[in-house]
Amino acid sequence: MPPLIIAKGLSKSFFAGKETISVIDNLDLSIDEGRFACIVGPSGCGKTTLLKILCGLEKPTAGSMLIHGQPPDPKKQRFGVIFQEDSLLPWLNLLNNVKLGLELCHIDNAEEIAIKYIDLVGLEGFEKYFPHQISGGMKKRVAIARALAVDPEIILMDEPFADLDAQTRSMMQKELLSIWSKLNKTIAFITHNVDEAVFIGQSVYVLTKRPTKVKATVSIDIDHPRSRLSPPFISYREKILGMLQEEITSL
Amino acid sequence: MPKLDRFRSTLIGVASLATFVIIWQVVTMVANSPFLPTPVQVFEAFIKISTIGDIDGYTLWWHIGFSLYRVLLGFAVAIVTAVPLGILMGVKPVVKSVASPVTEIVRFIPPIAWIPLSIILFSGINRYIFLLWIGIFFPILLDTIAGVKRTSETQVNMAKTFGADNKAIIKKIIFPSALPEIMNGLRVGLGVGWMCIVAAEMMGGEPVGLGRLILKYANLLQIDVVVLGMVVIGLVGLAMNYLILSVERRLFKWRVEIKA
Repeated sequence: MPPLIIAKGLSKSFFAGKETISVIDNLDLSIDEGRFACIVGPSGCGKTTLLKILCGLEKPTAGSMLIHGQPPDPKKQRFGVIFQEDSLLPWLNLLNNVKLGLELCHIDNAEEIAIKYIDLVGLEGFEKYFPHQISGGMKKRVAIARALAVDPEIILMDEPFADLDAQTRSMMQKELLSIWSKLNKTIAFITHNVDEAVFIGQSVYVLTKRPTKVKATVSIDIDHPRSRLSPPFISYREKILGMLQEEITSL
Repeated sequence: MPKLDRFRSTLIGVASLATFVIIWQVVTMVANSPFLPTPVQVFEAFIKISTIGDIDGYTLWWHIGFSLYRVLLGFAVAIVTAVPLGILMGVKPVVKSVASPVTEIVRFIPPIAWIPLSIILFSGINRYIFLLWIGIFFPILLDTIAGVKRTSETQVNMAKTFGADNKAIIKKIIFPSALPEIMNGLRVGLGVGWMCIVAAEMMGGEPVGLGRLILKYANLLQIDVVVLGMVVIGLVGLAMNYLILSVERRLFKWRVEIKA
């Protein structure tokens, strides 16, 4: 079976006044269906731009990005995107926030499905709460429930846990893994945190500094659940940190 | 606010109003002019106009009712024109660059300057509606544009990743997100419209309306009724403002609590 996501010679540049800023340059990448893929790179390297191209919010300047052989288009394919910033609507309660994604995708039985996914992320009983009444970690769970509820072909996450405290982040990583193992979805998870990438990802794509491309693809051959103290974990982490270090020092 | 503080601020409010009325009473008694009515005379005028009626037989309640009716009609027309245009101007830069050169000039022309033209262009109730619309339209328009601009890009992107089209994005994200600002525009607009009522009723031929009441009695040099009309305009304006504020508080509880 061909990979679910294939990027070939992908380039993206922006025009800022007279200058052209090249953000992504000739990037190749492929992600198999059902994989948990982590994308790490130095900050400001163009990770978010890559994610926006992955879900069709931005079009590539050159090259191609194909999902199931099609250019990404949220009107034709289902995406579950979890943003770094809070993307819940403050005027809707949790139930209606999760229902919103379903309604925008024109899916029937929105209420029933929304309740099911709110339960899945462990928020049963909080349906009538408003975003300002819950913690940052709970908001992320709602965003995850909203993304999962539409039964997306891929889940895209843009540094979803970056704003959380260390304890909550570690808990969310474990929960995300358990949800992923239940649903068997393809996940593209963007992070600048190498420890996080090695802890959850099956494959880690290391990006270069801007204009970015894939520097290396590291397959993490350790079974879940992983121990952060095991020698293979530490050696994977050191290897990837070393690659990133090269990128940062060559700036 | 704790109960005691609220009680204290109410007490201060009442004392302040009472002081104002006392100063008014003293000043007018000292001046002793037939053109400067005392609060007591104004209250007597209130009793007379609200029970017996004015020279044409209309009671105060008729005057209030007609003025409210006219302002609310102008208000309704202003809402259905300013809110959609404001959303379009906020969402589509093309619409903004086409419309704003005109709106940016017209909004500085006060409603009173439109009186001669509106007499020529319109008749009957339409004159009032037009003039009040001119006054109410711009506060709503400007606040709607401001509200649309405040929409979070992440929320719009989120909707896009679910395949939302422009119509759904406006309906589900931009409009509810801008609603607090729009409501603020409605409140300011209604206040402006209410303040324009005297100007609007200056040109109408009908003998009823608070503005008409003031003008009729100004011509008769009976200033007690003139002041009564002014006080009533102030009180009704206060009541309407308070009404919309309490709707806002109820509707945007989520926003108030975020701020706190």
